[in-house]
Parts: sequence; C-alpha cells; structure tokens
Amino acid sequence: MNEIKHLYWRAGFGLSPEEWGRRRSWTRKKAVEELFAAAAQASPLELPARPDVDPRTVDRAELAELQKEERRRVVDQNLAWIGRMADPAHPALLERMCLFWHGHFACRTLQSRLAVGQLNVLREHGLGKFRDLVLGIARDPSMIRYLNNQQNRKEKPNENFARELMELFTIGRGHYEERDIKEAARAFTGWSSTLEGEFVFRRFQHDYGRKSFFGKDGYFDGTDIIDLILERRETARFIATKIYRYFVNEEVDQEMVLELAEQFYQSDYDIGRLMRTIFESDWFYQPRHVGSRIKGPVEMLAGLIRTLHLQLEPQEALLPVQRALGQTLFNPPNVAGWPGGKSWIDNATLTLRLNIPMAIYRSAELEFRPKTELEDQAPARKLGKLGGAAQLEPLYTILKGKSKGEVLEELQEYLLQTPPAISLEPLLQNLRSDNWEDEMKKAVFSMLSLPEYQLC
Amino acid sequence: MLSPFEKSDQKQIMKRRDFIKTSALASTAAMAPSFLTQLLGLPLQNSRAGKILVVVQLSGGNDGLNTVVPFQNDIYYQSRPGLAIPPREVLSLNDELGLNPALVALKELYEEGMLSIVNNVGYPNPDRSHFRSMDIWHTASPSDQYWPSGWLGRYLDSNCEGCASPYQAIEVDDSLSLALKGEQRRGFAVSDPAQLSRSMQNPVLRSVGQQYQPHGDHSEEVAYLYKVLLDTQSSAEYLSAQSRKKTSQATYPATPFGRDLKQIAELILADTDTRIYYVSLSGFDTHARQKGIQERLLQQYAEGMKAFVGDLRRQGLLDDTLILTFSEFGRRVAQNASQGTDHGTANNLFLMGGKLKKPGFFNEGPDLSRLDEGDLIYQIDFRKVYADILGQWLEADAGRVLGGNFPPLGLI
Repeated sequence: MNEIKHLYWRAGFGLSPEEWGRRRSWTRKKAVEELFAAAAQASPLELPARPDVDPRTVDRAELAELQKEERRRVVDQNLAWIGRMADPAHPALLERMCLFWHGHFACRTLQSRLAVGQLNVLREHGLGKFRDLVLGIARDPSMIRYLNNQQNRKEKPNENFARELMELFTIGRGHYEERDIKEAARAFTGWSSTLEGEFVFRRFQHDYGRKSFFGKDGYFDGTDIIDLILERRETARFIATKIYRYFVNEEVDQEMVLELAEQFYQSDYDIGRLMRTIFESDWFYQPRHVGSRIKGPVEMLAGLIRTLHLQLEPQEALLPVQRALGQTLFNPPNVAGWPGGKSWIDNATLTLRLNIPMAIYRSAELEFRPKTELEDQAPARKLGKLGGAAQLEPLYTILKGKSKGEVLEELQEYLLQTPPAISLEPLLQNLRSDNWEDEMKKAVFSMLSLPEYQLC
Repeated sequence: MLSPFEKSDQKQIMKRRDFIKTSALASTAAMAPSFLTQLLGLPLQNSRAGKILVVVQLSGGNDGLNTVVPFQNDIYYQSRPGLAIPPREVLSLNDELGLNPALVALKELYEEGMLSIVNNVGYPNPDRSHFRSMDIWHTASPSDQYWPSGWLGRYLDSNCEGCASPYQAIEVDDSLSLALKGEQRRGFAVSDPAQLSRSMQNPVLRSVGQQYQPHGDHSEEVAYLYKVLLDTQSSAEYLSAQSRKKTSQATYPATPFGRDLKQIAELILADTDTRIYYVSLSGFDTHARQKGIQERLLQQYAEGMKAFVGDLRRQGLLDDTLILTFSEFGRRVAQNASQGTDHGTANNLFLMGGKLKKPGFFNEGPDLSRLDEGDLIYQIDFRKVYADILGQWLEADAGRVLGGNFPPLGLI
C-alpha cells in the first residue's frame, strides 16, 4: 500500500488523479511538509453579510421569513465547505482538522454569519494551541447560543456550557464532580452574545465571587477555568485519544495514546505538533491502520468529488444526501457530535452509499426518501437525480497505454485503500482499444460502488 | 365481543399456540383454511412465536392538550382563547376528558377496550429542542447525557431470541432511526421491500454479493460491510417475496401513513419473525394555524390505527400485538400569537392492543393549576413505560437495556 495515499486520505480527502500522478513517489516527509505548508497559508473565510434588519423591531412574520432565508444561506456555506474539502486548491489538512473539530465542538448553527464565524475559529486554531481553540469556542456566539450560555447569569446560573465543556470538549467524564460544574458555570456567567451575533461580556451578569474548582480557591473567571482544566493531564489524554481514534484507528492503542498525550501536554497542547508526530511516525503507516477507517459521509462525498472532478447538478442535491447518510454539516445530531465508525453503517445508509456512484454514472434517480425534519410540515422529497459531469481524462492519462493487468493494478491502487475481497478482473473483461473509454468509465464507477471504497 | 363458545375456542387456540411455540416448525403453521374462517366471520387463527411491538412516532411534538382535551377545565379555555376545542365538539370519554373531534376512529377503539391513554408522561429536566428531546426518547438517556444507541437497538443487542436476524426490527422508512440502532446490532429500514431489493440488485452489487466468500484474510471492517450488504440483499428479497404472498384484504386509508401500516400488517401476516415495527407520522410542529393542521394529521392517525387494529383483530393477531404511540414532547399550555402552540414538555401517550391491563385512562389528566413556567409537569417517566414494554411484553432484561431499573407500571 502506498504511504502517501494513506496520509492524504487521513490528513485530507484523498488525492485527485493529477495529485496522485505528481505525488505518489514523494517521500513521507515531503508530503507532510506540503500539508502543513498549505495549511499555514490559509486565511479566514469572508463573513456573510448581516441580515439587513433590526432584530429589535422585526415582527413575527418577517422573522420567520428571515429564518428561512438564513437556513438557505447556511446550506450555501455547507456546500461551499464540501467544495473546499474536495478542491485541491484548498489546504486539505486544514479542512480535515476543521471537520474533526466541528465534530468535537459539535454545534447546530442556524445563521450563516455565525456558522462561518465559528468555522473561522476552527481554521485559526485548529492546528494551533488547544487553549486558544477552547477559548475561541467559549467566546463563540453560535456555541454560546447552542449551549444556552446567554441564560447563564449570576442570579441563576445555567450549567449547560460548563457541563459540556468538561464532559465533551476537554477532560471527559469521571474526572470532575458535579460541584466543579456548578462552580465552572458561575465562572462563565455573563459570557454572552449580542442580538447581532457578537461576543459580549456582560459585567452585571457575571459572578465575581470566590469559586472553588478542582480543589483550588480563587476569584476565577472562564479563562481561569479553562487553564485549570488544561493543567490536568487527563485533558491531554482525552483529546489525544479522540484524535487517535479519528485519524489513526477506532481501536485505541493505550500505550501509544499515553505517549502522544504526554507529548501533547509537554508541548503546551500544540495540536500541529501532535498531528505532525502522528503523520511522521512509522507506526501510523502500519498495515493494520491502512484502510481500517469507515469514511464519514462528508469525507466520502468530498473524496468522490475530488477523484472524479465532479460537478454535481444541482449542487444542492448534496444536502439531502448528507442527511440521508447521517452527517449534515452545521447540524450534528447533538453536542456529542457524530459517533462515527460502524454507527455510520446500517442497511439503509450502505444501500445508498453503494448506489451513489452508479446514480451519477447513469444520471439516474436515487430511490430514497430522507426523513422529514422534525420541524417541517411537508414530507421530505425523494433524493431524485444525482446528475453531474465527471471528468475522467486526468485519470485516463495515467491509465492509457497500459496492459489490462497494469490498468487493474493501477486502478486498485488509486481507488481502494484495502485489498478487494473479490476478484476485479471481470470489470475489465470487455476492455478493448475500440471501446476503451466507455469500458474504462464503467470499470471506474463499478470500483467506486464496492464496499471497499467506503474504507480509507 | 366473543361468545362464550368462542372464548373457550380461543383457549384451545392458546394451548395450540404454546405447543407451536416450542415446535421447531412453528413459522408458517396455518390452523384453519382462511377462506372458511372469513366466510364464517370468525377471527382468523394465526399464530406466531412471539409478541409483536409496533411503535408509532408522531414527529414534531404533538399538542397533547388538544388531542385529549380537558373540556371541564377553565384554565385550558383561558389559556387558549383561539385554539381550545369547545366542550360540545369534544368526543367525551369521561366527565373531564375527551378526544379531539378528528379522533372519531380512535374513540371506537377506546370504547372497545383496545386503547390505554397514559397521561403526563415525560422526564426530568425536559429539553424543548425537537432534536434533543427526540434523542432522549430514542436513546432513553437522562436529559443531561448523550447516548449513541437507541433503546430498541439495545434490546437487539441483549441477545434476545431471534435478535440476530437482520429483520428482527423493521422501520417502515428509507432510513433508520436512532431508536433502532444498538451498539452491536441494528434494525432494518425498508419502506418498500421490492424497491429496496431493486436498489441492492444493480448489476455491480449483484455480482459483488454473489462473488464474496467470507474468509479470515479480510479486515474486520471489510467483513462487516459485506455482511451488511449480503444481509440487506437477502432480507430485501425475502421480505419482498413474503409481502407478495400475503396481501391484506382490509381497507386502509389512502395516505402514506395508511400505506405504511398496511405494509406492517402484511409483514406480520406473513409471519416474518419480525418482532418490532417502527413507523412515523410527521408534521406536528404546529407553531401557527394549528387547528387545521393538527386535525388533519390526527384524523390520518386515527383512521390508520382503526384500520390496522381491525385488520389485526380479524386475523386473530391483536392479542399478540402491542402498539405504542408517542411524540417527543407536548406543547405549552398557553397558545401563542399565531393561533399555534410552542414547544412544551409532558404529554400523553397511547397504547393499543388486545392485552392491555388497564384499558381506558391509565391515570388522571394533567393538573393545569400546577405548571412549571407555563409547562405541564410530568408524573410518569417514559422509561417506566419502556421498562414495562421490554420486561412484560418482550420478556427482556429491561434494567440492562435501559441502564437502570424502572419499577413496572402495570400497563400490560
């Protein structure tokens, strides 16, 4: 198995045929450098304009219209993000880190400006210091709204944010008491969001009193709480475990994770250094890790688009497909994020995954009706056609002039991350020079329909 | 009503059923030619190896107060000047409570002792988000915990008899709800077996399925994906063949919900060994202009259920079937400014079947004079209802499935 391809599937979304042609012979080190250098070049995304209304005077009907329009604009951001994941012109590692952190700091966002604002926090700190990332999220208006921190006031603390901060975002269950949550909630009182969607610290709602947290006493505020949480090695272990499970293997190697966690802790929670250590290690490329990951729906779709240079028509078709496969960006099931692994797969999602390539190939209807959203009156429509133009020429360039055997080997190496469980020779049995492109196209789409393609 | 003769005949059948339960050839035993029993107007004498649970989900948060109406309550009328149902329109069931006028069909089931209404069901620290509250009902988690698996999925995990079968639990839908996803096992989503079968039989997938030979060389993940693929192919084919074999003669309403219920009846009739069926009716999020929207949905629901229960009764299968209807929350007591209601908390739920312990009202209606910031206060934790269903009906270890012991309520 090619190391470079394993690296790009885990640190990015696979390789386009051109990238594969150019990079397949790179050293591991060179490829890691490329990934980090591209990420370092990235700039913040442009914030969508604020809706042109005064939130104080808007009436109920206008508000409903506005909310509908904002939902549509969040969909635009969703599609644009998948577009970046699929596009070799964008830094793959950074987009991959953002997708990971989006699942970690899972948040449902109903306004486009807030969605992009939060994504910018992930972009800015996703490979930086974990402290800055947590602090950015604690001050993020979308998360503040999602976890009710606006209602967290001195007189009547709301513990929702404090609880998830500890349970899901940093240290994990079992390392704190209920009392710590109560005290942490007091420290975050007054961390709020304006109606316009900007962070605001409301002094008069903040509890300036003494707090006792993790056995220490002081006049702590939210930042102090985060620092006290990061002082605990359990936090480094919790995050390193999650990163290992996502980027390396669902099956955790305890010893390895403890080593990574210790380094993470010593480096003052430097995420970039942790990722570099993983990607530069020999053990990361061991056969037991390669092809062991069930692709999440979004990475599967982004990878497919990257491989085929796919222009979906209409683009919006990707939204109901995400929903049907169980992963909609900016709309995780709850604050715990997507469970991932085998939970992606049931008879319905697998049927759909395996039918997507052929639906694109034939521009055919997908016989699938997603569930109606809980707040919708009208039943969801069928997925319908997943039409679009694939550009296979770059792939053909690699394959032209090769014998059947070589073509099969080449395709298998490029498209699959695990040895196929069945013989693929029949796929090319009709390949001749006079029907080369037609047969080749069929073979490519057939290989994309294999269960093995769902793994990376 | 059954005559005394028929009752003793039923007993006779029960004995034979018990015998069949233990017989290895239980699956398709027919006890009398069906044309004959139909001709005589007798219940058909079908048999099955185990009890069946049907879960009906009303998605969006059904307004319980306008479903089971407290038509003697002043607070109800004061809180809903434009939305309360006038007493003369209510289909009264007792001195205080009655049904929404769109539920005529449900009233018949109530009068025949086929319906239990459980009031004030909810959970501590209720969440008013659809998604979160539905999650809580699906996973049966406490409201401050996030569980990745559903209660029926964990029932499948519990090594119940037949639980390894891929279609032990079927959701009549194109996608699978969290309720049916266990840690190890998952239910089976299929809205139309023939269509699913077609989707799994495109030329590539057919040949992939035929060629695959499991052996130790494949990674666990590859083996897992192929297992789901092969199970789906064979189950879709089997269910498609079975539901063609037994078509229901009953008339169902011509709505998608009616069609789904008919599908379930046919699969039950075909004796596919499936023990759990799951189906949803959506659109109950009635923030504006509630009256028309809710009544249209309630009528679809009631007429569907009447056809379904009647069908099962005629087939002699109602005693083996329990139907649970729930919604993720009720709505606030007071109406809003748009002739609708906003997200609330506790709600009523319905149980139907031939073996209810306490048909009619299981408990008293809501106390509108004692509210929590305008919301009803729950009295019965929904997990106790689940515990009854799991322990009493499905004969499972409810404590293990629910991750805690909930004392049985005595519903069934």
